Amino acid sequence: MTTAVDSRATSSVGSSAVPAPLSAIGRWLTTADHVRVGASLVVSAFVWALVAGALGAVLGVERLDAGSALVDADALAQLFSLHRFALVFGVLAPLMLGVSVLTVPAQLHAANLSVPRLAAFGWWAWLAGSIIALVSYIGNGGPGGGDGRYVETYLLGLAIVILGLVAVAVSLATTVLTRRNGNRLADIPVGAFAALVSAVGVTLTFPVALGTVAYLWVDFVNARVAFGGGDMFDSWLGWLMREPQTLLLAAPALGILADAAARTAKSRQPLRGVVLVGVGISAVVVFSSVTQQAHVFATGKTPFETLQSFVPFALFNVLPLLAPCFVVLLSLLALKSGTSALSGAFVASFLGVGMVFTGLVGSAAMHLEALDLIGTVFGEATLVYVVYGTVLAAVGAITLHAGAVTGRALPDTPVLLLALSGFAATVLASLPHFVAGFLDQPAAVAAGYDDSGFVGIANVLVGVGHALMALVVLAFAGLFFKSRRGEAATDRYATEVSA
Amino acid sequence: MSVPALTAGPARRTSTVFVATGFVSAAAAALMGGMLAIWLDFRAKAPTRIAGDGATIIKDWLKKDITIPEVAANTMMFTFVIACVMAQWAVYSGRRNDKSHTTLALAVTLFTGLALLNVQAALWMQMDIVLRDDAYQTMFYTVTGTMFALIASAVVYSLVAMFWVLAGRTSDHDVLAAHALYWYATYGIFAALWFVVYVQK
Repeated sequence: MTTAVDSRATSSVGSSAVPAPLSAIGRWLTTADHVRVGASLVVSAFVWALVAGALGAVLGVERLDAGSALVDADALAQLFSLHRFALVFGVLAPLMLGVSVLTVPAQLHAANLSVPRLAAFGWWAWLAGSIIALVSYIGNGGPGGGDGRYVETYLLGLAIVILGLVAVAVSLATTVLTRRNGNRLADIPVGAFAALVSAVGVTLTFPVALGTVAYLWVDFVNARVAFGGGDMFDSWLGWLMREPQTLLLAAPALGILADAAARTAKSRQPLRGVVLVGVGISAVVVFSSVTQQAHVFATGKTPFETLQSFVPFALFNVLPLLAPCFVVLLSLLALKSGTSALSGAFVASFLGVGMVFTGLVGSAAMHLEALDLIGTVFGEATLVYVVYGTVLAAVGAITLHAGAVTGRALPDTPVLLLALSGFAATVLASLPHFVAGFLDQPAAVAAGYDDSGFVGIANVLVGVGHALMALVVLAFAGLFFKSRRGEAATDRYATEVSA
Repeated sequence: MSVPALTAGPARRTSTVFVATGFVSAAAAALMGGMLAIWLDFRAKAPTRIAGDGATIIKDWLKKDITIPEVAANTMMFTFVIACVMAQWAVYSGRRNDKSHTTLALAVTLFTGLALLNVQAALWMQMDIVLRDDAYQTMFYTVTGTMFALIASAVVYSLVAMFWVLAGRTSDHDVLAAHALYWYATYGIFAALWFVVYVQK
């Protein structure tokens, strides 16, 4: 059912005058084909997922013994910061945008993206920016880093990353609005609708961060009197890398689940309008860029004071929970109303959205003052839940659309096993830190806490979970490339039914 | 049960360039909106002290020796109107396939944009403040520098649209409409900056 254009078929570059590998590289460098741009983003995000997994494993080992240090304190602070950068800007954002770029044109029966060159520019900008940021971390230049030149480089890299992601988001949002073949938004697949919600959210919120980066850079290079230098970067930009903002980036996962449920059940999504409303609710997260602060709920001396505290807490922490909640429940209903069977794509995306939901529930709990969890590893765990949840959803999306987009379907059983392994990895990499948060293990440090009892075990489990997730990503990549060779698997999702 | 997923609805033409420009304009508005919000936050939180007369409260934000050239700032505000009118004239002429007037309108828009950049540079020179002296200076140069970049991007858009028309693409009116939209958006963004930074200070 795909209508994706394969520029390889139409290109005249590969003539005998140019060696084949060179012409292939040339085509890739200059491509504006959505399959290639999307695949580039997804593959790069998976590489970053390996980096994030390895970093998580190293940090788990480092935290095993709070009394001894394998890495010196400055480098450790940089590693924690790099881990967060890798999770959000290396994995979460490019993976979800990449999957959308890869699949949305096919969902809309469009040949390519709108303004495809902008999307291609966005991919290259994101790649360049993320490499610049990585180099700056290596040179001790992340937030709070000791080398001023590399700290400036970090801000430059971050600005380019944000610019690139906004460019991809603009192209994606324009595609959904202009390439619908005259259909109403309510009639397009939920996956495309969720991509639109996410893309518009990125377009409206990331520039706010870009403006902040501009202030930070000018201040850092000059007086350092207004914004407090490198140590304060996180206090200005932290909102961008924590819940609920991450839900905006993870919103395409909701669409993936709805589409996977409908295609697995081979029936149309029941209460489709409610699903769209559910996905749309995630758009309230846009307001996180307006307030840029944590909304903690604390009981006041009077009922009015309590209400005053509860309303912003509920708006920013409880309302977004409805988005995955609606989609999960209605996807189960879709499965019940059609062919009651499980598929690799459905299981992967269902578990993925479940993990995102768990992360958001954790984030809401963290903002209850009575639980006293802010500043503990509990917050790290919520981010890992959301990011690894989207990795699982991406596995589901690639499985769902591989046949249509690339012409080679993935075998379902190995995907099912990988989804279950990914689920185990996600739980291992985050749940122990939920518990350790209640035991007051502080975030982003590897010393100054009691590592006896469960806390020590929790850190080991978390390290194992991250390493396992890296292996799952590697195994999925291996499965994908293996499926490109040999006999093609049957595409069980090759149906006209979509949510 | 098999249900068709997505059937073609009635044909409806939607301009890709116009919609994309709308999103870019929204992103630019969010960029400046965020920067002005931080500006307002800093200004509100600037420390206050009692003046020598014991009666006046002084806010340590804009130093006494810094003078904002309001004539230059107001000139920018009015020059933007000219740019927007010219951009709209290009749309009007384009719809009538009047290539010469479309090109002229775009050229005037382009040069008006260059004039805006010139006024901004003149404004910086007239103020003659040192960037690294204080929070106000740092933020002033950042926010006006960002505005400078946005105006420069509008000038580049005018240049591209002009080449587009000169190359004979007069039938594609959407590019001209999108170009006008971007100029309107840039004007709106500047109006917000003008009010916060140059009027309210």
